[in-house]
Amino acid sequence: MTLTWLGRIALYVAFLGAAGGAVSQLVALRAKRPARALWWAILALAGIFAAIVVMQYALITHNFSLAYVAQNNATFTPLLYSITGMWSALEGSLLLWALLLAALTVGVISYYRRSSSDEVVGWATAVLFSIGAFFTFLMMGPADPFLHNPAHVLQGAGPNALLQDNPLVAVHPPLLYAGFVGFTVPFAFAIAMLITGRVQDRWPLEQRRWTVLAWGALSLGIILGAWWSYQVLGWGGFWGWDPVENAALLPWLTATAYIHSVIVQDRRGLFRVWNLSLAIATFALTVLGTFFTRSGVLQSVHSFSSSTLGPLLIGLFFFTVALGVVLLAWRGDSLRSPVGVDHPLSREGLFVANNILFVGFAIVVLLGTVFPLLYEAVNGTQVSVGTPYFASIAAPLSVVLLALMAIAPLVSWRTVDAGVLWSRLRVTAWSAVGVVALLVAFGVRHLSVLGAAFLATCAAGAALRTLRGALVAAKRRGSVLSAVRAPSTGGMIVHLGIVILAVGIVVSTSYTTRSEVTLAEGQSTVVDGQYVSFSHFNEVKDALESSLQLEVRVDGHALVPAVTTYNGRSSTVGTPAIDSNLLRDVYVTFDADGASGAASGAQVQSNLSARQVVLGVTVEPLLAWLWIGGLVVGLGSAVSFLRRRHNDEAA
Amino acid sequence: MKVLRSFRLWCVALVAVLALALATAPATSTAAARIAHLETLVKCPACEDISVAVSNATSAVAVRHEITQKVHEGKSDNEILTSLEDAYGPSILLSPSTSGIGSLLWAGPLCVLVVILVIGVRLARRRR
Amino acid sequence: MKRTILVASLAALVVIVAFSIFLGTRQPVTDATDAPSPLLGKSAPAILGHELGGGSFSLRRELGHVVVVNFWASWCEPCVQEAPNLSTLAWRERNDNVVVIGVVFDDPVSAAQAFATHYGSLYASVLDPGGAIANNYGVTSPPTTFVIDTKGKVEATLLGAASLSQLVGTVKRVQG
Repeated sequence: MTLTWLGRIALYVAFLGAAGGAVSQLVALRAKRPARALWWAILALAGIFAAIVVMQYALITHNFSLAYVAQNNATFTPLLYSITGMWSALEGSLLLWALLLAALTVGVISYYRRSSSDEVVGWATAVLFSIGAFFTFLMMGPADPFLHNPAHVLQGAGPNALLQDNPLVAVHPPLLYAGFVGFTVPFAFAIAMLITGRVQDRWPLEQRRWTVLAWGALSLGIILGAWWSYQVLGWGGFWGWDPVENAALLPWLTATAYIHSVIVQDRRGLFRVWNLSLAIATFALTVLGTFFTRSGVLQSVHSFSSSTLGPLLIGLFFFTVALGVVLLAWRGDSLRSPVGVDHPLSREGLFVANNILFVGFAIVVLLGTVFPLLYEAVNGTQVSVGTPYFASIAAPLSVVLLALMAIAPLVSWRTVDAGVLWSRLRVTAWSAVGVVALLVAFGVRHLSVLGAAFLATCAAGAALRTLRGALVAAKRRGSVLSAVRAPSTGGMIVHLGIVILAVGIVVSTSYTTRSEVTLAEGQSTVVDGQYVSFSHFNEVKDALESSLQLEVRVDGHALVPAVTTYNGRSSTVGTPAIDSNLLRDVYVTFDADGASGAASGAQVQSNLSARQVVLGVTVEPLLAWLWIGGLVVGLGSAVSFLRRRHNDEAA
Repeated sequence: MKVLRSFRLWCVALVAVLALALATAPATSTAAARIAHLETLVKCPACEDISVAVSNATSAVAVRHEITQKVHEGKSDNEILTSLEDAYGPSILLSPSTSGIGSLLWAGPLCVLVVILVIGVRLARRRR
Repeated sequence: MKRTILVASLAALVVIVAFSIFLGTRQPVTDATDAPSPLLGKSAPAILGHELGGGSFSLRRELGHVVVVNFWASWCEPCVQEAPNLSTLAWRERNDNVVVIGVVFDDPVSAAQAFATHYGSLYASVLDPGGAIANNYGVTSPPTTFVIDTKGKVEATLLGAASLSQLVGTVKRVQG
C-alpha cells in the first residue's frame, strides 16, 4: 500500500501546484500585480517528478502491489521495457503527458520571467496551469496509475508484445507527446492575446518559435512511428490511415498551416484572427486526438477509453473550442488587419493557398476518421474508410503542395512579375525537364514517378536557390554562420526533407513487389532480383520469450525473421526481418511452416513438409530515403528555431 | 519578350518529353493490373485496416482468389465490388460506396475545392 | 461585419456542440466484430477429432443442431474473458438444440488441458493437431467463433471475444 499512497500524495502535490498556480495567477491579474508563478510551477513539477520516480521504481523492481505494474510488467521484463512500460497503457501515459506539461510550464515561466508583469504572459501562464491541473486531476480520479493490486501475485502480465520487441518504444511516444504538449504554449498565448486584445508586436513570431519546436518533435515522432510500424507490423507498409495515426496527423496539419501563415503576419500584419484560430484549433485537435487514442497503445478507434475518461476529454475539447469561438467573436472585429492580400499569386497569396490546403485536408481526414461512427449511428452496420479514400485525396494534394514549394520561395511579397519569376525558375525548370527526360530514357513510364521527379526537382531547386541566396548574403556580411539564422534557412531545409520523403514514398509505392516463396532447409532462390536462401530453424526459449526463428540470407546479409511468443501475457507476434540499403529494402516475413509441431503461431499449411517454410518477400526501392527525409525535416525545424526576425538584419 | 520566348521553348520541351513517355507506355489495363488495383480496394476480413493486397491471412487469400476468378470471368470492376459487398457486408470495402450517407465523404473534399476557388476569385478581383 | 462574425460564431458553436455530444455518447465497443468471412453461406468444413477429456467429435453427427464452434488458445487473453460466456451459453441452451464445441488453436495439449480445467468449461473442446481445422476455417487469431445452422451452413462469424448477449442474440438469429 505504501507505493500507492506515495504515488497518490505526489499527484496531490502536483495538483496543488497546478491549481494553486492557476488561482494565484488569476488573483494577481485582477489585482494587477505579479504573482509568484515560478514557485507554483516548480511545486507542480516536483509532484509529477516524484510520482514518476515512484512508478519507475515499482516497474524496475517489478513490484506488483500496483495494479498498473501487474498489467504491464513481469519479473523477466528487460530494463528498457520496464522503463518504457510507464507509457504502455493509459494511466501511465498520462504521467508522461503531465510531466512534459509541468516541465514546459516551468520553462515558459522562467523564459518570460522578465516580462512577468505583462498581462499576456500572465494570462498564458494561467491557461498553462489550468490545463496541467486538468490532466493531473484525471490521474487523481478516473485514470489512477497507482491503483493498489489487492491480489498477491508473484508474476505480472508483461507489456503488450508489440511494445517490447523494438527499442523505438523508448523514443516514439515521448517525442509525440512532446509535440502535443508543446502546442499548449501557442494555445495559451492565443487565449491570452484574445483576452487582452494585444495581437501585435513581438508575440506572433515568438509563438512561432515554440510552435516550430513542438512541430519538429511531432514530425520526428510521426516519422519514427511510421518506421516502427514498418519494422514490426509485417506488411511492409508504414502508414495505414488508422484512426489513431490520423489523430496524430490532424494537429500536425494545422500546425504546419500556422507556421506558414504566421510568417505573413510577421511581415505584413495580415491573418491575425486566422492565426489565433489556428493556434486554438491545433491544441483542440491534440485533445481530440487523445480522446481517440486513449493511450500510447495503438488500437483502432474501437477501443475507447474507460466510460468516465471519454466524456471528460470530450468535455475539455468542447470547452477549449467554445472558449476560442466566444473570444474570437468578442475580439475578432477589432483585431482585423487594415490591409489585405494584393495578388493571389504573390507570396501572401500562395501562403493563403497553403493554409487552405492544409486546413482543408485536416477537415477531410477528420471527416474520414469519424465517418464510420456516423454511418453506424445512422445505418446500424459497420463500414470502413481506409487507404483508398485518403490516398485518393492526399495524392493530388501533394502534387499541388510540391508545386507551391517550387514557386512560393521565389515569388515576391505583394506583387507578381512574370519575367522575374521565370528568370528565377528557369534553371530549375530546365533541370526538371532534363531529369524527366533521363528517367524516360531509362524506361520509367509510371506517370506518378515522372510527375514526382519533375516537381521534386523544382521544389528542391527553389529551396537550394534560397539557401544559396542566404549564404551569399551572409558572406557579404562577413559571417557565414549567420546564414543559419536567416529567415528561410530552416524552412528550406525542411522543404528539402519533405522532397526527399516524397520521392521515397512515390518510388517505393510504385515499384513495390511482393512474393511468397517456399523453401526447404538449405534451399535458396532468386526473388525479384534478390538472392534469398534459408538455412535452418532456430528455437529460442528463455524467461522472456519463446520464439521460432529462421536463419535467412538475403544478398549475403543474415536476417532472422521469426514468430515470437512473449511469456506472461502470452501474445504472439511475427517479427519481420529487413535488409536495408540506400537503393532498396528487402522485407522478409515468416508466413507459414509445415507444422513443425512447435507452438509458433505462424500459419500452418498442410501441403508443406515439416522442414519447409513459406517466406513473404517484399522488395521496396528507395524506402530508406523516407527515414532520411524525416531526419532532414527534424534538422530543419531545429535550425528554424534560431530564425531571426526579418528586419533584424544587423543582429 | 525574350522571357516569354524562353518560357514557351521550355513548355514545348516539357510537352515533348511527356508525350514521348505516354506514347511508349505499355498498355495499362491488363487483367493483372486490374486485379492488383481491385485488391487494394478490398479489406482483409480478419484484419483491422489493411487490404487483401498486402495481407497473408487465409481469408485474405480466399478473397484474392475470388477477385482473380471474377476478373477472368469478364465481370466489370463495379460488379465485382458490389458482389463482394453483398457477400460480406459494406465493411469489406476500404472506400465506402457513395450512395446515401457515403456521399458525405466526397462532399467534404468538394467543399474544400469550392472554398479554394471562391477565395482565389475574390483575391484576384480585389487586387489593385 | 460584426454581424457576420456573430452568425459564424454561433454556427460554429452549434456544430461543435453537436460533434461533442455525438462523440461523447459513443459506447466503447466490447463485443466481437461480425467478421465478413468467405465461409458465410457455405457448408461448414468438417471438424473431426479427439476431445480434450477423451472421446471423439464429428461435426457431421451434429447435423440438425445449431453448432457454435469456438477457436481458442490458453495463451490468448480475450479467450479468458470469453470462456465463461461460452460455458453459460452451453448450459442455457443445452435443451434448445444448440451444441457448443471448442477447437484448440495452436496450443500444446497440457496447456489447453490446464486452461479447460481452470475455467471449468461446460462444453467439450476438440484437439487440432497440425492446425488443419483452423486452416480450413481460415482462423488466424483466436478467439474466433462460427455459428453453423441446422443444415450445416456457416451463418455467422464473430472475431474477438463475444459477450453473452451477443452470443445468445446470434444463436437466436441463426435458429431463425
